[in-house]
Amino acid sequence: MNGLWSMARQAGSVLTTLLGLLALTFFIGRMLPTDPVLAIIGQQADQAAYDMVYHQLGLDRPLPVQFALYLRDMLTGDFGNALFTGHRVADDLARAFPATIELASLAILIGIGLGVPLGVLAAVHRGTWFDHVTRVVGLVGYSSPTFWLGLMGLIVLYAMLGWVGGPGRLDVAFMDSIPPHTGLLLVDALWEGDAEVFWNAVSHIVLPGSILGYASMAYISRMTRSFMLEQLAQEYIIAARAKGMSRWAVIRRHAFRNILVQLVTVIALAYAFLLEGAVLTETVFAWPGFGRYLTAGLLAGDMNAVLACVLIVGVVFIGLNLATDRLYHVLDPRTR
Amino acid sequence: MSSARRLAFAAALLLPGASEGATPRDALVMAWNLDALITLDPAQIGEVNGNDIIVGNVCTPLVQYDPKDTTRVIPAAAESWTTSPDGLTITFTLRGDLKFPDGSVATAADAAWSMQRAVLLGYGNSANLTQWGFTKDNVQQTIRAQGDRTVVVTLEKPYPASLILAAAFSGNVAVILDRAAAEKVSKTLDGKSDMGNAAFKTGPVCVGPYRVTRWDANDVVVLERNDSFYGPKSNLRRVLIRHVPESSAERLLLEKGDIDVARLLTTDDLKALEANKDIRIEQTVVQGMSYVAINTTDPVLANPKVREAFRYLIDYDGLAKTILPYQGVPRASLVPDGAYGALDRTAGQPFKLDIDKAKQLLTEAGYPDGFTKKLILSANSISPNIAQHIAFNAAKVGIKLELEQMADANLFTRGRNREFELQLVGWYTNYPDADAMVSRHAVNPDKRAEAKLTMYPVWRTGWQDLSINDQAEKARMEPDPAKRIADYHAIQEFMMHNGPVVYIYQNIRPIAVRTAVKDFEISPFFVNYGSASK
Repeated sequence: MNGLWSMARQAGSVLTTLLGLLALTFFIGRMLPTDPVLAIIGQQADQAAYDMVYHQLGLDRPLPVQFALYLRDMLTGDFGNALFTGHRVADDLARAFPATIELASLAILIGIGLGVPLGVLAAVHRGTWFDHVTRVVGLVGYSSPTFWLGLMGLIVLYAMLGWVGGPGRLDVAFMDSIPPHTGLLLVDALWEGDAEVFWNAVSHIVLPGSILGYASMAYISRMTRSFMLEQLAQEYIIAARAKGMSRWAVIRRHAFRNILVQLVTVIALAYAFLLEGAVLTETVFAWPGFGRYLTAGLLAGDMNAVLACVLIVGVVFIGLNLATDRLYHVLDPRTR
Repeated sequence: MSSARRLAFAAALLLPGASEGATPRDALVMAWNLDALITLDPAQIGEVNGNDIIVGNVCTPLVQYDPKDTTRVIPAAAESWTTSPDGLTITFTLRGDLKFPDGSVATAADAAWSMQRAVLLGYGNSANLTQWGFTKDNVQQTIRAQGDRTVVVTLEKPYPASLILAAAFSGNVAVILDRAAAEKVSKTLDGKSDMGNAAFKTGPVCVGPYRVTRWDANDVVVLERNDSFYGPKSNLRRVLIRHVPESSAERLLLEKGDIDVARLLTTDDLKALEANKDIRIEQTVVQGMSYVAINTTDPVLANPKVREAFRYLIDYDGLAKTILPYQGVPRASLVPDGAYGALDRTAGQPFKLDIDKAKQLLTEAGYPDGFTKKLILSANSISPNIAQHIAFNAAKVGIKLELEQMADANLFTRGRNREFELQLVGWYTNYPDADAMVSRHAVNPDKRAEAKLTMYPVWRTGWQDLSINDQAEKARMEPDPAKRIADYHAIQEFMMHNGPVVYIYQNIRPIAVRTAVKDFEISPFFVNYGSASK
């Protein structure tokens, strides 16, 4: 019974958060000076055309009514049409979000795969050349503009060496060659058993994925190092060593295990930010992702698109938060 | 998957193949910034991308401009036309071999309905017809089909035939849509049919050389050759327009041969490509002007001498050498060069940077120490550079210009609402006749704010001159070509010194094309995708 009550409370809290997020975005969005009607009718339209579309969009209704109607449609799965693309928002997002999931997932895998070991090693070898190099590499990754890194990467690895694919998710020759099952090209190519498309998609994603992964790696390695340093200075580490445990056994079984909860939080946050979309990286690499979609929607004052995006961002953050909460219980019995 | 196929797939996965590198031989691959593309319905298109893709390439209009001389119209979907002796009726005879992509016959009823539809839907494009007297109430009587191949158009006034043909029947409102296909997918909005607008936004069914098979927003537009089209078949079966919103990325793709055509290149990237013998750069001066609009409802800016002073603060020659290469040609007249009735290049740009003259005009106007005003502009393209140039010269005469950059959507909203002091913006015309600009940039039927004549850029500035309204109407209706040209010259001369707008340059459309692409026909109003071959 307690479990059910707790779940109901959690669901209520999630729904309230999402509703609050939507309401805030909606009302702030309506105060923006951008007029979505002009995007539809064009600069040359007369006032009658303007009034007609203004009415069709429901903008002549009181704001609370507009919001209530939006919620009603949304609950039936209708997010409306994106004014700045002319397509249904749901269709746009079904294309844009998987493109970002694919990129963000590769980036976070790179970030974890390199960032965690580097952070641990840098902490263990604190003050050595390895530590300094790791920190400098991290600092560069953290502070370099991804836009610049992306362009440099394209010039060297794509234009000069031809090692990776250019901007876009696939070569033109492979467009339409596989049906979109999940929208994740790598998965769809494997699903269809098409190795050529798979490798072509890999050649296109590897550079933007690595650049975003580099930034994540920098963040994760810095945080891992700092968490590890804190643990390595604890008395229980000295006690474990005094008991005769090997250095690496202490690091692995005690110090590293104790930073896992913090590390999971850092990784979840890094992943959530990546899933919001990296506008500049998506722009340089002509990646039809979520970040560019949201930004273009905002610039056009397209509240249908913006609200749906905000809802997704909210769900991603809440979902990752809940997932990390569950992971805490697994990783640290004291939190159960 | 069979075990043999599974094995082959596993082997292929272990052996990544090289990227293709070149574009397919039967496809034209173009990169462009498609951010502004919001609809492909010809009745609704209001920006450059949509017009470029649809008009002539997907939907063939009744008549089209001669690519070699854009002041002439030549037959397209209509094989001929006649004008009644009183000049009030135009009768179009359509070709007998017009077909939609599914092979069904396109008739005069489809053509008449398509034009009526544009007026009844009432988007911005409808002005191409409504400004000639076609209204929601009369369009079903004034544009009608007679038999299968005849469309009869009744005019409210005897407009010169060359003018009305170019202005109303050569563009996006005079195409032939498949009425039956539209009615099948129509939706009802506020009790009225949308005439297929929601569905046609993503791909109209039209008579034309290509058909739209895919448009993924912010990603790609794909056109497939329409083999039912009457004209010569392009050897390029597909046209792929990829959304690449960054100039450097487009340049790399073009240099590597992963695209054939780049449409969004900055001056620096174009300059860099000049040395590449595999690429040629086509520059076309188009019928579009970039300018500073001055809000004359502001008491300082209402003074004609103040506005005149701004004209001497533009270093046209300097701009031509620095910011404008590949982007524009300096021009101070409101009518773009190449339009019927336009002043020639010399007469259309008589100003030079003259700080002393500007200072003198300001002193005469009562502002010897200048003033402070805000100039709003787009954050895109070369607008920030142009604005800084003006602000730099203005500072020399004591005018402090505060620059405010914004998204295009904000800029247009501020303009239409008269919420600006000075606005750097642009305007494209639909037909190469002086009337196109004069009727919107000089004629203002009612300057009152409550008139809300937002579609007239000159209304947005609050400026009006009733004699110019009369002169423009006289020029529009003048049957004698020589007199008509003279009338327009006089209007341009007057507006250049007294009008509320400082025109800076006429736009150039730079297109970088790989030399492997041959015969690509590019003219101010039509980039003919189907003409290209490899």
